[in-house]
Amino acid sequence: MRALVITVMVATMCCPLLASDLKAPATVVAGTDFVIASAESQGGTFYLIGPSLVSKREVQNGSEISVPGDGIKSAGVYTALLCSGAGCVSTDFYVKPSSPARLSLLAHPSRVRVAEPNAISAVALVFDKFRNLVVEPAQVEFQAVAGEAQPISQSRTAANGIAWIRLTSGKKEGPIKVGAIIGPAKELRVVRQVASDACNLRIKPEWAAGKFYVSTDPVRDCSGNAVPDGTVVSFTKTDRSGKTTVDAPVKRGIARVQMPVDGNARIFVASGVVTGNELNVTGKQ
Amino acid sequence: MKLLLLVLAAALIAFYVGYLHADEPAAKIDLNTDTLGPRTIEELTEKSIVRDYGLAWRTLRDALNHNQPGALEGYFTGFAKDDFSRLVQSQLKTGVHVRYSDRNHRLTAIFYSPSGDAMQLRDRATLEMQILDGTKLLSTQQVTRNYLVLMTPGADRWLVRDLQSIPEGRP
Repeated sequence: MRALVITVMVATMCCPLLASDLKAPATVVAGTDFVIASAESQGGTFYLIGPSLVSKREVQNGSEISVPGDGIKSAGVYTALLCSGAGCVSTDFYVKPSSPARLSLLAHPSRVRVAEPNAISAVALVFDKFRNLVVEPAQVEFQAVAGEAQPISQSRTAANGIAWIRLTSGKKEGPIKVGAIIGPAKELRVVRQVASDACNLRIKPEWAAGKFYVSTDPVRDCSGNAVPDGTVVSFTKTDRSGKTTVDAPVKRGIARVQMPVDGNARIFVASGVVTGNELNVTGKQ
Repeated sequence: MKLLLLVLAAALIAFYVGYLHADEPAAKIDLNTDTLGPRTIEELTEKSIVRDYGLAWRTLRDALNHNQPGALEGYFTGFAKDDFSRLVQSQLKTGVHVRYSDRNHRLTAIFYSPSGDAMQLRDRATLEMQILDGTKLLSTQQVTRNYLVLMTPGADRWLVRDLQSIPEGRP
């Protein structure tokens, strides 16, 4: 019996929390003023413990404690405590985010080849004006604008504050603006579309000042975009002296090499996994 | 008999003091990835998430217990770091502080971005939460809190970018 009494006394000293008779509204929106009611008409010390703020103040009248919106900008679960000589009363309540007002947009990658299916991904995070993730479903409109073309739009519903989309890159190289819009908030990111692999590689022979050259036609991808300068083109020659491969970078749209030819020669061209036409030439003696 | 009672009391006090000050054992963390999408998670990433989320909570506990916002540097970034730094600053200003002791976390990964640069998880955490004004203990609660967590990869670890408590019963 004595042990029980001591246990109760210790518990009371450690945790002077009484009944949970503070009453907060069922719904509180971040940043709005509200009132916490209690059966305690005497004043005391009022504590508010939130996700990003702890506050403490003396209140004269415990029956109606006004809480300014400034103190509840962060969404989440709060604990309110009113402590007086008789102990503390408390309540937990939830502050929900206000309406969508901001977006964060993650667009990847920053460079993408043209005509790649689902190559661009855009993820939009929906926040309210206090930077709380808006967890209620909300419609996010994604837009893609390439050059002067008309924007392409698609709408997605954000779940738990996140909406996302995959896009196929366009056929023309150049920047594409990927955007997300919700209410007053709009975010844009630029993804650069670059030419894909070379396509329809063609080479032609040239004689100049008694020397033999092989050059390509302008090197383009299958959508007609010029491949970037520096793209390597490999020329392979087979003649009496054997097989020789020479790599040449594309410069100003074409690749060109000088190749000494001994008798009849066959010349192939390739760039990456793409092969082009074959030349049969006869060297000048 | 008196001696026995004294020894027992001393042991109880030592246990309580030790409990308050010793490094607490790591919380148990389970991660469920069954409904994760659109990207599938690699085994190594799964392990990193569990490790780094656990360490994030440990540093949060240290930051709040000892009023050291610097402890947040390692595993928090963005809004989460800003919010908890503000919380520590307000603890310093008011003298009130919150002591969290996380017991376990049931994590469910719900979104992994196609490019792998963001992961959203839901955490059902079992915590002991104490509120103190100076050294005076105002309240001790065993609570179960639900959180929406946003993590993003850093150079060598996953960082908590947003940690928002949500009401019970949200799907």
